Amino acid sequence: MTTLVLSCAIVAAGLYGVMTRRDLVAVLASVEVMLGGASLLLAAYAAAGTAPAAGQGYALLVLAVGAAGAAVGIALLVSLVRRGRSRTDQITEVRG
Amino acid sequence: MSATLLWWGLAVLTVAGAAVVLLTREMMRMILGLGAFLLGIAGLYAWLGFGLLAVAELFVYVGGVLVLFLLAITAMGRDADARAIVRRFDLGAALISIGLAVVLVVALRGLLPAAVPVSGVTVESTADYLLGVWLPQFEIAGVVLLAGLAAALAIVQGGDDE
Repeated sequence: MTTLVLSCAIVAAGLYGVMTRRDLVAVLASVEVMLGGASLLLAAYAAAGTAPAAGQGYALLVLAVGAAGAAVGIALLVSLVRRGRSRTDQITEVRG
Repeated sequence: MSATLLWWGLAVLTVAGAAVVLLTREMMRMILGLGAFLLGIAGLYAWLGFGLLAVAELFVYVGGVLVLFLLAITAMGRDADARAIVRRFDLGAALISIGLAVVLVVALRGLLPAAVPVSGVTVESTADYLLGVWLPQFEIAGVVLLAGLAAALAIVQGGDDE
């Protein structure tokens, strides 16, 4: 129960950061916080389940895909900052 | 008793790191807070008995993603003023976040018994799943990683059209 509360609190804290932060680096860091909380909950479920080794494998896959997402996010961040946009309120339009 | 104390210590480290990420206005402190948060998460994985997951978290996130954050900030060449992050308290966002946490806890509390450290989870047993039953998923994750790498390179190299 305590792990559940901790994980949900971390996810909620990350969501708060995503909603309130304006700097893109801070938003990306908040997304990482959310992902960490969700991964912790997944690992806790795996530990409480009947096949913890399978849960660890699944959590590894989630971790790898999350790292790929973080790399793409940082690439987007660098690309946007090169164009002089480092805050979310400076990104007001999309193309295509 | 010592295991419980260790869990609480790791939980405090994790929450403190997340709080620094959310509240600090200085970019480098925020990255250090993110590092503390990720270390706490890795410690909690190890506490649960998932040593391989803890090591992977350390290598991939603390050693990879965090360094990528630092390199990105350095490469962006932002001056000291730009590194101060504007923050403000938003009551609506706080209520939504707290509401989400409450809904998640209420919805999931019956599904998760008290988490206790597990034993016998070895690298071999995990590899049996990843390279056996879950081989397609494992390969798909590899393809996603490759696509992510290619996308990151394409995004960073292209797009100087403004």
